Amino acid sequence: MDTKLKSISRHSLTKLLAFILAVVFITAAVVQGAYVLFMGYNPESIIVSEYKSSRTAFKYEMNNAFHETLGLIQWQGDEDVEVNTSATPFKDSVANQVGDGVLEEETEVEAQEPSEVIAEEEVNVPQGIQIVNEDKDYIFYVSDGVNTFTNKESYTREDFAKHEDTFLAFEKGNVSYGKKVDPSIISWYSAEDDVTLYLAFTDDFMNEQQKGWEAGRDVLVPMVKLFVAFIILAIILIIYLTIVTGRLPYDDELHFNWVDKIWTEFMVGAFILTIIGWFYGVYTLGVYSFRSLNTPINNLTSTQSNAIYLIGVITAVAVLLCGVIYLALIRKIKGKRFIKDCLTYKFFYRIFHGVLDFLKSFFDGRRFEKFPLTKSLHKRQIAFIVASFILVFLTFIFIAVPPLMIFPPILEIVIILWYVKYNNKTYEEINKGFDESLEEQMKSERMKINLVTNVSHDLKTPLTSIISYVDLLSKEDDLSETARDYVNILREKSNRLKNIVADLFDLAKSTSGDINVDFEDLDLKKLIEQTLGDMEDDIEKSGLTIKTNLPNEPVMIKSDGKKLYRVFQNIIDNALKYSLKGTRIFVELEDKDGKAIATVKNTAGYEMDFTAEEILQRFNRGDESRTTEGSGLGLSIAESFTEVSGGSFKVDIDGDMFKVIIEFQ
Amino acid sequence: MDKARILVVDDDKEIANAIDKLLTMEGYEVVKAYNGLEALDALVVNNIQLILLDVMMPKLDGLSTTMKIREKKNIPIIILSAKSEDSDKILGLSMGADDYVTKPFNPQELVARVKSQLRRYMYLGDMGNASTSSLLQTGGLCLNRESKEFTVDGEGVRLTPTEFKMMELLMSNLGMVFSAEQIYEKVWEEEAYSVENTVMVHIRRIREKIEINPKEPKYLKVVWGIGYKIEKY
Repeated sequence: MDTKLKSISRHSLTKLLAFILAVVFITAAVVQGAYVLFMGYNPESIIVSEYKSSRTAFKYEMNNAFHETLGLIQWQGDEDVEVNTSATPFKDSVANQVGDGVLEEETEVEAQEPSEVIAEEEVNVPQGIQIVNEDKDYIFYVSDGVNTFTNKESYTREDFAKHEDTFLAFEKGNVSYGKKVDPSIISWYSAEDDVTLYLAFTDDFMNEQQKGWEAGRDVLVPMVKLFVAFIILAIILIIYLTIVTGRLPYDDELHFNWVDKIWTEFMVGAFILTIIGWFYGVYTLGVYSFRSLNTPINNLTSTQSNAIYLIGVITAVAVLLCGVIYLALIRKIKGKRFIKDCLTYKFFYRIFHGVLDFLKSFFDGRRFEKFPLTKSLHKRQIAFIVASFILVFLTFIFIAVPPLMIFPPILEIVIILWYVKYNNKTYEEINKGFDESLEEQMKSERMKINLVTNVSHDLKTPLTSIISYVDLLSKEDDLSETARDYVNILREKSNRLKNIVADLFDLAKSTSGDINVDFEDLDLKKLIEQTLGDMEDDIEKSGLTIKTNLPNEPVMIKSDGKKLYRVFQNIIDNALKYSLKGTRIFVELEDKDGKAIATVKNTAGYEMDFTAEEILQRFNRGDESRTTEGSGLGLSIAESFTEVSGGSFKVDIDGDMFKVIIEFQ
Repeated sequence: MDKARILVVDDDKEIANAIDKLLTMEGYEVVKAYNGLEALDALVVNNIQLILLDVMMPKLDGLSTTMKIREKKNIPIIILSAKSEDSDKILGLSMGADDYVTKPFNPQELVARVKSQLRRYMYLGDMGNASTSSLLQTGGLCLNRESKEFTVDGEGVRLTPTEFKMMELLMSNLGMVFSAEQIYEKVWEEEAYSVENTVMVHIRRIREKIEINPKEPKYLKVVWGIGYKIEKY
């Protein structure tokens, strides 16, 4: 039910219809208003049913009559002044003021009238009582003791007082008036104290006016009812449109259309301009064809009809425009976009935020995003220093204008806060990364050690079986020659595998640091000699000569003898394997600046198409085709063992010369 | 003489079988067990003269088994292990084992070690007690100053006079490290000058005569960069 209602109320056709109706209603109301004004009916007749009670009609008429009457005697007085030259110009100014107070045009007309009349009457009427303006709608008597004016000679106070509704008396300052006369509307101050004035409207006049008044009422009241109805309907429609605008039947979201993209200022401006334009148009047309109140007519002139037609069109267009703009503004308010869509807001927001953001970006790291963390710290520091420097500079400038001195410290505080805040953030990130990498490293280190231990066992166990059974197989008596060859190959290879596995774990352990090193004071010279003596058989077998150049004195170092023996054994073994036949291997040791430097040089028996780094890569064999002995790990182990026992290991390749340099402190 | 009966303990059945075959071919009787508990049971049931014991085994590991056996028996125990660290070897030997062989082992070396241990246990058991001051002994090595005889695990070894002198010097100072110069001056009775190589060559030759595996000497050791010594057992 609810959704059904919603689907109808939010349907665009319903909204369109409501909008059109609202436009029509408002236009109709305005046109009616114009019509009423053009017809000349007094709008007061809508509320006040009797003419004599009306404020704008009867009371205004009464005031007019009072001043016309008073004008007779005052004008007469002015004449005297001119003759006698005794009175002050004050009266004249009073008369003018009276003229200003009432409708100017009419007063002037009325003021001249009596003079003509007087000029006529002066001959016929005796001095004292002058009878003027017999055809007036009211009867009057006015006298200042010298001159008396009336429109009927025989009037007494009672003649006036019997018109109980419209009677007005001013007797030397005393005021009395009829039931329907409002003394507050009459400008008494223009009357002097010596004046006696009586005034009353005739019943005929009053009746006639009442008839006209009622005729106006008959026309106006239904019109006003209709007018009010139109306005109420229009307001209801506007409220409805205000509620449903921007909503669609199928959801509760706010929907905008292209109109809403226009800047708010433009909309408000257009709205105001439309209203002004409409008002100006209607006003011009109204003045052009306006007719004074209280003079009703039966038919509009063609000018007036055209004006009303035009007013209708203008109004319809204006309401249409204003309606569209109004609803767009309402949608903006609903969508909280009213301020945001302001061009001025955007403009200042952009400028302010742009500047702020630019400054901020130096400190929060965005400007240095592409740099590593430490580098961004460095850059930020530079930004901080530069900003501070500029502020110090500004301080000197601001010294000229003392009140401005407050800005540099404030800005400096802001900059320092930014600087510290974002620096701390960066430090945190660095620490976090550092901790993480440390943990990662330790984890991988532990894993490596476990791997070495476990894999070592898992590799050695099957290898034990292989070696044992190969041995058993070789002891079988009834093996054929070929089978015996095969078994020998198996034995060789399994022994080599055993060596490789042993080397591999030696290397793995030493590189992972999981190796015991027994440091002791030892003589490196002796160690080299022992190693060479130990390897004499191999040296003899190789057919190469070893040339030693060792110092006479012992070269004492602190290291692990067993490991260093492995080092030299591997190096010399390597040299024996890969040297050119008939060449010599040079083993040298020198004690230089407290450093023990041992070098082993040999001439390679093949072209060394690798770099010093490459040869130290694990499993890198100098010459793959030349030999199948060894694990290929000899030099790597030598390097690693030298390092764990406190030395440095370097390989130098120069043409065919292969040189290993080992240094100890 | 009865054939010596050897208990082989290894959770890897193939290795146990291989050792079985190997030792059987050498004329020993072999009893197999696959974990420490079985080994202890087998010891009760059989008359065992030597035990080959793996370390990493289920139920009861080799080291614990060694300790249990040592509570009652004095028979030789050779530990067979894939653990090749020095610390592992020291631990095994200090638990009461007589020898420590790392896997993968050379079958011939294993046989030699077994023979060596059996010889000492079965035939030479009390020889040390009868020795006089003219006898120098450590482990299976025995040097008779008077008769100029030298035996390894009871078997005679022929040493040259220089070699005998070197062994005499080292064995009369067990565990003490002598530099090449010291050895040369004492043995050759000449001033030592650039003698490292000479001494080293002799050491190597002696090793080949007395060590089961000269590459991994048990008795005559090189202290790299310092000198030479004979280990005290």
